[in-house]
Amino acid sequence: MKVLDRKLLREAKASKGLILAITSLVAVGVMCFIYMRSAHRNLTMAKDQYYAQCRMADFWIDVKKVPIAELPELLEIPGLTEIQPRIQFFATVDLERVKYPLNGYVLSLPDDRQNVINDVVLKRGSYFTERRRNEVLVNDAFARKHGLHPGQWIHLILNNRREELFVVGTAISSEFVYLVSPGSITPDPERFGVFYIKHSYAEEVFDMDGACNQVVGLLSPEVRERPDEILRQIENKLDSYGVFSKVPRKDQPSSRFLNDEIRGLGVFATIMPVIFLAVAALVLNVLMARLIDQQRVIVGTLKGLGYSNLQIFGHFTKFGGLIGLIGGLLGCFFGYRMSIFITELYKQFFEFPNLSNQVSVPLYVTAMIISLLCALIGSAQGAYAALKLRPAEAMRPKPPRQGGNIWLERFPRFWNRLSFGWRMVLRNVIRNRLRSSVGLFAAIMGAALLSTGFTLQYCVRYLIDFQFEMISCSDIDLTFKDERGPDALDESRRLPGVDRAEPTLDVACELFNGPHHRKAGITGLASDARLTLPRDLDGNIIRVPKTGLLLTRKIADLLNATVGTTITIVPTKGLRTPRDVPVVAISDSYIGLGVYAKIDYLSGLIDEELAMTGVQLEMDPRTSAYDRFYTEIKQLPALQAFNERASNIKNLMETLINTQDIFIGLITLFAGVIFFSSLLNTSLIGLAERRREVATLRVLGYSQWQVGGYFLRESMILNILGTLLGQPLGYLLVRYLTVVYDTEMFRFPMIWPASVTIKTLLLGTAFALAAHVFVQREINKMDWREALNVKE
Amino acid sequence: MSHGYPMIQSTSLNAQVANSRVLLHLDKIGKTYQMGEVSVEVLKNISLEILHGELLVMVGPSGSGKTTMLNIIGGMDIPSHGQVWYRDQDIAQATPRELTRFRRRSVGFVFQFYNLIPNLTARENVMVSTEISEDPLDVDDVLDMVGLSERKDHFPAQMSGGEQQRVAIARALAKNPELLLCDEPTGALDFDTGKKVLRLLVNLKNQLGKSILVITHNAAIADAADRVVRIRSGEIIDLHKNEFPRPPEEIVW
Repeated sequence: MKVLDRKLLREAKASKGLILAITSLVAVGVMCFIYMRSAHRNLTMAKDQYYAQCRMADFWIDVKKVPIAELPELLEIPGLTEIQPRIQFFATVDLERVKYPLNGYVLSLPDDRQNVINDVVLKRGSYFTERRRNEVLVNDAFARKHGLHPGQWIHLILNNRREELFVVGTAISSEFVYLVSPGSITPDPERFGVFYIKHSYAEEVFDMDGACNQVVGLLSPEVRERPDEILRQIENKLDSYGVFSKVPRKDQPSSRFLNDEIRGLGVFATIMPVIFLAVAALVLNVLMARLIDQQRVIVGTLKGLGYSNLQIFGHFTKFGGLIGLIGGLLGCFFGYRMSIFITELYKQFFEFPNLSNQVSVPLYVTAMIISLLCALIGSAQGAYAALKLRPAEAMRPKPPRQGGNIWLERFPRFWNRLSFGWRMVLRNVIRNRLRSSVGLFAAIMGAALLSTGFTLQYCVRYLIDFQFEMISCSDIDLTFKDERGPDALDESRRLPGVDRAEPTLDVACELFNGPHHRKAGITGLASDARLTLPRDLDGNIIRVPKTGLLLTRKIADLLNATVGTTITIVPTKGLRTPRDVPVVAISDSYIGLGVYAKIDYLSGLIDEELAMTGVQLEMDPRTSAYDRFYTEIKQLPALQAFNERASNIKNLMETLINTQDIFIGLITLFAGVIFFSSLLNTSLIGLAERRREVATLRVLGYSQWQVGGYFLRESMILNILGTLLGQPLGYLLVRYLTVVYDTEMFRFPMIWPASVTIKTLLLGTAFALAAHVFVQREINKMDWREALNVKE
Repeated sequence: MSHGYPMIQSTSLNAQVANSRVLLHLDKIGKTYQMGEVSVEVLKNISLEILHGELLVMVGPSGSGKTTMLNIIGGMDIPSHGQVWYRDQDIAQATPRELTRFRRRSVGFVFQFYNLIPNLTARENVMVSTEISEDPLDVDDVLDMVGLSERKDHFPAQMSGGEQQRVAIARALAKNPELLLCDEPTGALDFDTGKKVLRLLVNLKNQLGKSILVITHNAAIADAADRVVRIRSGEIIDLHKNEFPRPPEEIVW
């Protein structure tokens, strides 16, 4: 090892606190880069592999009923390469050990194993056999949740009949990576499952002889990215069979959620490392500038001995290189561990056959290069100062810093009221412009991160509260298999434990406003409805108009509609007569694309007297009432779906909030690293520079705590100022995230309660105090008698 | 470049011989510092020759321009005007790169406050200079020469001022330069230690034939010199040859 390298290592060892602080900044930046990129890559690769393995469809078209014999004609459409007929229905599941009904999605698969579109991957058991007609494959997560295994019998209500099915195996499929029941935003494998049955059996139980009600297909690669035109052609051809919906892959719920997550990860994988590495580079820059200042004479000596500028520059940048190297290696290590952890965490949400952490050597190499570059850039700028000095000049001690007035002194009324201590503190903060700016910048970044974390926490809680406490107030929602008349409401009222029942009518429609159009369900509500209460952002109830529609904001925006706009609706079922209806009010919602109307008005639009597709119930809260209700409801053949608000909320809390808490814990930790490291650096550097000043104060009779107090005041000024300035940045960051995650299925509310700022201030202060513990220790340890004798 | 170390003969100089023995030649150099609006002329038209294998002592009070001249001779600074001839090169016109090469190959600096690197041992401090030289002396030999073979693994903070100065001399010497430049080498030392350091310098001249320039405000040291130049307010006021240099042990200050 070169002797100067030894010098470097010993210097590094002597200032290990500082090095540790900057290294941890670099390490966190690299760690975020590694684990977010890894998660991004793992999900992308798992997705691509899985989609290829299952031959993931490019589109899904739901029809009322189409003869399979008519389908080959579709293949004449150029770009359409393969199609597959399926039969699909929603059903309820009656498990003996579960007292309430569960929801299921029943899907047909060929009787014999074929290489179909949207194929399944078997997890346990086998594919259908020839032994029984009523065999079923259960989706694996549901089976695991309920302890189902091949060889068991289960009961499903299929087409109003309670059918017994024999479980032959469990399976997963690429179309259900993110499996959510209609209207939900998080998977609930306990309450919702997918059941694959033989196509022949499906034909039989659903009266679909030689027909199907869903067509999935593959497109040729050239048109895969722009499927709309082909889907329109297919729709035209199938028009007479009643097309309910046509969904390209990008809009398929599972695929969409997955893509949104991957996209969000990509955004985070850029923002987080940039924040940390920028702070690290700046802090390193300050540290290097001070190191070189301190070693001015050594720089001069080395020049005098014949060291070239490049050699000296190289020597000092090696210091940064060392930090980049250690930080990079640590970041790679923890990034590796984190990417395993996060990838495992994703398994809670996404079901893949083989989602695991793949180590990408180029990614780690890139991370090391980024780490080294950031550290080298940070230190090179500081080390450059060493080159400008002529050797003879470097040998002379640095001229004393100018001690002129600071701008605050131009306000004598304010300035004269300050104590000596505050004046000293303010002068130090303001005169050390570069160092203070870097400390401020770090505090701004840390505060922005912290407040973003806290706000997201509020946002998600508020979202759940808004949707499931304020808008939906029913305890239980029942969805019927078919449209029913007013008798269904009476039946529901007679169910045990029901205190109140309100009818709902869901009509799937296509809504048009000029060139803008969207598919959405219009929900009809009773005149006296109080179990669904559309609201505006402030929580005020928006009354559903007697005539016309109430749109939620997202669909209003998508349709470019405002109050007063007349839009055209075309129901996807029934007579499909286009109707012009006015938009009368707009409400807010964070989930889905809600449209509301009065139930009698909506019934009129589809030419019915009074129709309903479901009821919302308010229940007697006693457990015994629920139990009797469950027993009864399990026997109802006409039931298509059963939703309980309490379980929805519980599931949302468990999945969304728990995961979010992990992320917020991480963000807090990361922000802590920023606050702690940068403030520690600023203070320790200040301390090293002002040893004589500290010594003088000690000689004058100041205690070590008083001296420490001055340093604490300096870092608190930066900390508090930075936290306050970080709020707008955090606000922008949250704003940006609400845009990134603004989808048709799901949006973030943008709220910023004052408690976020207070919490950020408190936590920032805690981090600053933690850093100050180390500074105070240095002050206590300092031999101030010796400091006074130092030659400067 | 070949390094020759002709021994000094104590015969009177004849002009031609003198020319061939010139190592470095200052030709009417001046140095002016601009301090804001005021310009300060530190050196005024100085001409001086440094000969092969001589101990030249430059005496002058503080602020007389000694250190500036030393810095210019050592390639650490450049004059405002005039020429500095080292062999056939004018180092006053040299590029920074050429100056670095000059400092690396040809001169060894000994600083008043030693300027040792605090977290390197004595031996390592010497290695700082051998690692960049093309033709260095053996580090241990040099440390032995300055009488520090026993202390070579000590850090500067663990050594006395005299020892530190000897490390600094060893560091300058180990590069095997033709010219040693010493800035107040005894300035920070007590009397006895100062004399030991002076003895070391005289020995280096005698045994290795190095040219040595010592600047000092201590006139007594001049007694050990081959030639003495007196400087005041940036001008040479006297230059004389010492016919009988006294051994350092006999000098008193």
